[in-house]
Amino acid sequence: MGKDVLRKRMQSSPFFVVGLSVAFVIVVSVIFLPFFTGYSPTANSLTSTFQKPDWLSHGLSGHILGTDELGRDIFTRLLYGGRYSLFIAAVVVLLQVFLGTSPGILAGYFGGILDTIVMRLCDIVLAIPNLILAIAIMAVVGVNMTNLIFVLTFAGWVDCCKVTRNNVLVIKNREFVHASVVLGASHGHIMFTQILPNVTTHIIILASQRFGFTILLEAALSFLNLGIQPPVPSWGNMIAGGRSFMTIYPWLVFAPGIALMLCVLAFNFLGDGLRDVLDPKRN
Amino acid sequence: MFRYIVKRLGQTLLVLFCVSVFSFFLIRMAPGNPAVMMLPDGASEEAIQEMEVRLGLDQPLYVQYFKYITGVLKGDLGTSTAYRTDVAQIIAQRLPNTLALTAVTVVAGCLFAIPLGIIAGSHKGTAVDFFTMLFALLGQSMSPVWLAVLNVFVFGVWLGWLSTMGTGSVAHYVLPVATLAYPMAAQIARIGRSGMIDTLQEDYITATYAKGIRRFTVNWKYAFKNALVPIVTLVGMQTGAFIAGTIIVETVFSWPGIGQLLNLSVGNRDYALVQSVLLVSAAFFAVINLIVDIINSLIDPRINLR
Amino acid sequence: METLLSIKELGVVYHTERSKVYAVNGLSLEIAKGESLGLVGETGAGKTTTALAALNLLPKSAERSGDILYEGKSVFHMRERELLKLRGGEIAMIFQNPLTALNPVFTVGEQIEMVLRAHGGGKNRQIRERAGELLETVGIPRYRLKDYPGQFSGGMRQRVGIAAALASSPKLLIADEPTTALDVTIQAQILELMKELQLRSNMSLLMITHNLGIISELCQHVAVMYAGTIIEYGEVAKVFKNPLHPYTIGLLGALPKLDGPRSRLTAIPGRIADPQNLPPGCPFHPRCERCQEECQSKTPGLAAIEEKHFVSCHLYTKEVRP
Repeated sequence: MGKDVLRKRMQSSPFFVVGLSVAFVIVVSVIFLPFFTGYSPTANSLTSTFQKPDWLSHGLSGHILGTDELGRDIFTRLLYGGRYSLFIAAVVVLLQVFLGTSPGILAGYFGGILDTIVMRLCDIVLAIPNLILAIAIMAVVGVNMTNLIFVLTFAGWVDCCKVTRNNVLVIKNREFVHASVVLGASHGHIMFTQILPNVTTHIIILASQRFGFTILLEAALSFLNLGIQPPVPSWGNMIAGGRSFMTIYPWLVFAPGIALMLCVLAFNFLGDGLRDVLDPKRN
Repeated sequence: MFRYIVKRLGQTLLVLFCVSVFSFFLIRMAPGNPAVMMLPDGASEEAIQEMEVRLGLDQPLYVQYFKYITGVLKGDLGTSTAYRTDVAQIIAQRLPNTLALTAVTVVAGCLFAIPLGIIAGSHKGTAVDFFTMLFALLGQSMSPVWLAVLNVFVFGVWLGWLSTMGTGSVAHYVLPVATLAYPMAAQIARIGRSGMIDTLQEDYITATYAKGIRRFTVNWKYAFKNALVPIVTLVGMQTGAFIAGTIIVETVFSWPGIGQLLNLSVGNRDYALVQSVLLVSAAFFAVINLIVDIINSLIDPRINLR
Repeated sequence: METLLSIKELGVVYHTERSKVYAVNGLSLEIAKGESLGLVGETGAGKTTTALAALNLLPKSAERSGDILYEGKSVFHMRERELLKLRGGEIAMIFQNPLTALNPVFTVGEQIEMVLRAHGGGKNRQIRERAGELLETVGIPRYRLKDYPGQFSGGMRQRVGIAAALASSPKLLIADEPTTALDVTIQAQILELMKELQLRSNMSLLMITHNLGIISELCQHVAVMYAGTIIEYGEVAKVFKNPLHPYTIGLLGALPKLDGPRSRLTAIPGRIADPQNLPPGCPFHPRCERCQEECQSKTPGLAAIEEKHFVSCHLYTKEVRP
């Protein structure tokens, strides 16, 4: 696929353009804006609880989205929560790709008993729904950041593994791979130079879709108090915390809720657009 | 056909066995001594030891597992430390609530989303298609957490139309079902659309048109059946994972089902219950997967010929 | 003889992301009632596109020009209802790849019966009965009506395809390389079957193929296609005995002969014209050994050289035969 075709496809996919722009704004905001807001995400200020949003009337120094029950600036907490969510999702997706792709390629390439074992292992993990598995493991191993990343990774590597394995099965039987075998190439050489480049498109697409999903799963765990623990902010635990005050101070849940929705939407748009743009079948 | 079902049944049992081993050892890794938790605070060392013997904790792990699994096969899931009653009984009491919620959700989601996906896929590039995709992407991006809370706020608090707590009447179903069904419908519509787009590019569809079949019939009778396999698979996966789906919704809407139970049990460190919910949910998932595979092999004869 | 289908200056352009594909360029052709016409050409010459255009089944992205008349009526301007009657009822089509042309999730019975229901109808029992008869006509026992395509071999599936095509007794059968995907022995059986059926039912046949043997076996007339246009047309005997266009000569020279003195097989140099980037003038000129200056700039028209033998080549229109 030529670069000009890629660029043309990118420009003509509205989902891709919108997703990429919004995702970019979100990533840049959560990384850099906390340096400018001037509030701490965790320090209480009991003199200024439940303040209404100032919007931008005081610039970046006001309580743009108001304050919560402990007087903490919601906008600041949103940004820090986003930092955690995006950081966790990025680490988790990378780990999933690595942990899923490696056995997937090996199982698909060598087949036989190895394939059976890997696939049965996937079946077992798949047999327990994602969220339940995550909740049960979190409950047992205890709640902290490392465990959260471990649990989210564990619940999702299977998809990568199965997709990779199925694609390898298809590619393994193509002529160019047979040709390499006939020419005496080693297994490692064939796997890394012949097969891997042909499954990367699928992996990139899958990873971009898993990103949004991971953010949602993390939010659900944090909402259930099994993810990021207060007072450290996360969008999930902010929604949980604001729920009791929702009737009178709705911005406590609306701010993190809308942030969560926009962020996941942006990444899903991006993932979907990416699928359209990279689609090998399209012509 | 029969051989296929027997083979799939064997696979299912193997997976369930592994899940039972996994959940057994996972729970044994949990901090805290179950014997201590069964006793009142400040129990004597002797009482703890006595309780350990009574619970069989003094025996090797594989013996404990064997005892556990034979109990499970007889319907004995152990005793809840928090409720101090039979786990099987608690689950049996709550399961119907979750099943009812799930059934209504699945039916509502399918009735809405399958036609939507088919229409969008057969009118690719039109406004209908665009809005379906928008609807689907929005649904996939909606956190159940946020959607549930939003529904409570808009319909319960702000408009005051619907009850947001508990179970009982038909009206109680509306908000939980809507919350559960939207992300589900989004995925179904999406997969229906892409299945339809793929199918309509096939040679046999051109061949069907060449036979003088009307477009409506081609879409809804012929291509529909081809696009149905991935839809059934997806609906099955979502139905199978229903306990996971309902955790958030049951918690927010105080729906007395299994999902809420799991959340409460984790908070109570009631490991016997957590373990059983894990097993029950895996068993349901396996059974529904089996049903899905059978339905799919009826739709597409190629599946059991493989 | 009365004309059944007449293609007039058909042009089809596909628009893809990268470029325009000129699949068919000013193609004209007539098929009379009861006639069997062979359409020969290499892969990519626009044969299938022509066939689909006759049924008005080109994808929406295709831009078409010219016209196709069926019994004097424009196929492109027909109403939906007329088209439904035309497709499968008046003109039936057999597809190239029997492995993909039958819907895998419906029984072969259903795929024959849907034609019967769409054209004629009747009670379910009658339809089933008729479908069984059709299956037997193509040499498959009736009880296999309830089997799925996956349970048949390629040759058997093509027989099913033929049965479905014949279900409504069409006046024209378009066979798009019906034997290309099959083994040689099976090819012979299928051709034998088609020959027999065509003789029996007096329908017209448009046989699309790149196999000249099939043409001499089945057809009275042959049209040779190159880069989306007809370059030579005539009675099979005349064209095969006395090919005029350098391309036709090349095609025939590429065939081994079983009788007569042994001679070296000749291949046509170069590759088939790229429909995304057609050469100016005669599309064959870059591969033509007798190419002249004129050929590079001016597109030749189809001209009669003898009775029922036409060619589109500057060599003949100017009587400069060497």
